[in-house]
Amino acid sequence: MKNVSVSQLKYHWRVYLFVVPSLCLLLTFAYFPAMGAIYYSFFNWDGGFVKEFIGFGNYVRALGDPYVRHGYYVVAILVFANLFKMIPSIAAAVVIHRLKSTRSGYFYRVLFVIPMIIPGIVMILIWKYFFDPNFGILNEFLEFTGLMDALIALDGAFGWGVFLADSAPAWLSRPELIIPALIIWGFPWVGTIGVLIYLSGLSGISDDIYDAAKVDGAGPLRTFFSVELPLILTQVRINLILMIIGTIKEYGLTLVLLGHTGGPGGVGLVPGLYMFRRAFYDKETEMGYACSLGIIMFLIILALTFVNQKFVRVDK
Amino acid sequence: MFKSISRSLKNQRSEVPKHAFILMVLFFAFFPLYMILNISLKTNDQFFNDPLTPTFPYHWENWVYGWKQVSGSIYVTIFLSFTSTAFNLTVSLCAAYFFGRYKMPGGRLFFMLFLMQMFIPGVVNLIPLFALLRELHMIGTFAGVIIPATAGAQVIAIYLLRNFIEDIPQDLFDSAQMDGASDLRQIVHIVIPMCTPIIVTVAILDFINHWNDFVLPLVVLGREELYPIGVRLYQLDGVNLKQWGPMMATYIIAAIPLIILFIFGMRVFVRGIGTGAIKG
Repeated sequence: MKNVSVSQLKYHWRVYLFVVPSLCLLLTFAYFPAMGAIYYSFFNWDGGFVKEFIGFGNYVRALGDPYVRHGYYVVAILVFANLFKMIPSIAAAVVIHRLKSTRSGYFYRVLFVIPMIIPGIVMILIWKYFFDPNFGILNEFLEFTGLMDALIALDGAFGWGVFLADSAPAWLSRPELIIPALIIWGFPWVGTIGVLIYLSGLSGISDDIYDAAKVDGAGPLRTFFSVELPLILTQVRINLILMIIGTIKEYGLTLVLLGHTGGPGGVGLVPGLYMFRRAFYDKETEMGYACSLGIIMFLIILALTFVNQKFVRVDK
Repeated sequence: MFKSISRSLKNQRSEVPKHAFILMVLFFAFFPLYMILNISLKTNDQFFNDPLTPTFPYHWENWVYGWKQVSGSIYVTIFLSFTSTAFNLTVSLCAAYFFGRYKMPGGRLFFMLFLMQMFIPGVVNLIPLFALLRELHMIGTFAGVIIPATAGAQVIAIYLLRNFIEDIPQDLFDSAQMDGASDLRQIVHIVIPMCTPIIVTVAILDFINHWNDFVLPLVVLGREELYPIGVRLYQLDGVNLKQWGPMMATYIIAAIPLIILFIFGMRVFVRGIGTGAIKG
């Protein structure tokens, strides 16, 4: 890399031209709207030309809005669930890495990439079909494996009133089942890119280390925690941050799966979807209010990222 | 000798659970793909009787029907994804060159600006962006999708490309400089050839992302004949409700361009994403 000091700028100012297009795009279409969101969040604004300054009115209203509280409650559950949904990718990568034959390792790597050809929205729509109470695969799978009987028995014991012997559970139209459906979605939760990223981190481990671990009598689990996990901790942490941000921002999934109302009872009305609905779907669009909801979300993401940086440290 | 054979057999046996685990995960990962393909060739009767296994005869007419429903939006999506990706690669490569080749005054600040963008939730931007695009008369135009989409997508591209440009030996640039090569020439003759794998990887990732883009086109385009495939499928979800075969056929058709992309780019992609991640 070439160091250019301020005094050398008159010979090298042209270099800035290379970053100008990107920077212009960024400022115009990312930062300018973001600043706009802050500005509009102080107004009662329906998206038209008339707007009325109301100070922190939108924020006060948001803090008391039961939909907002519910949305973040759902998001908190989903973040917690997604924490566990990170495990399959790590497990798959570790197992592939431990294969003795590098050829089958490469072969599996390629196979894991192939499901990426399914466009995101198709994946959501196909799960919508899996959840269908009458024709869907999920209920059929539960019946076939006998899990349904177990669920019905559990239901009898706890009195959920959801899994009944005489009717198939309607995953997306029973309020109680919507959050479980949002968690089950995407099983087996193996992210292609995640697996490849972990694998690349693991590839730094030499056979000697494995041999040494073996000599010390470390079992597979012990080897994982003392050899493999430390090496992919950076990637795990990056994925953790991205997962948290992604989960809080997410609303495409709920929009397609449940519609803009968030499903029956609005159970699936995550904050992003609520904001989207307020801005574009409700009869009286409240863009100012939606903007304030967005700013709140931004602050929450920022705070969580900060906490993550601070406490989930990686010693290298 | 017997000892070594028995040991290698034992080694083989210890591999079996690993393969079994991976194959089980892969089974579930491939299951949706199988079901789409499987149901897309069934009539409703075949589907009701037996959704899981293939039934004969195959009904390819579902595909024809599906193609009629989505062909227009497939063309639109190819155009949108291709232009956005090309546009993104051009601006990102230049910016990544700026960040990876030179340490300019203010460079760090600019880079922070790019990274900070990731924390802004898209939906926050969406509302004022909509107002901005309306001011610019870009609502209902492809430019209204391509330009904002690129503005967001460039961040990760710049990040990945910069890491690779940093690693190009300085001597190469120096000798090019000596020969009087301009920065633009250095990009074309040094950066692009040296970074082809990561450029291809970024291009594929970017293309897929634009292919999956859903909310922005839904909000910006607003006219049915302009809808890309994601929005079109969302819209058809209500219409095709009881037509399982043709519905699944439209899903397959939506994936075909990506399948073609993968056939050509797979090798480079699998390697590129690996090396890209180590550096990240």
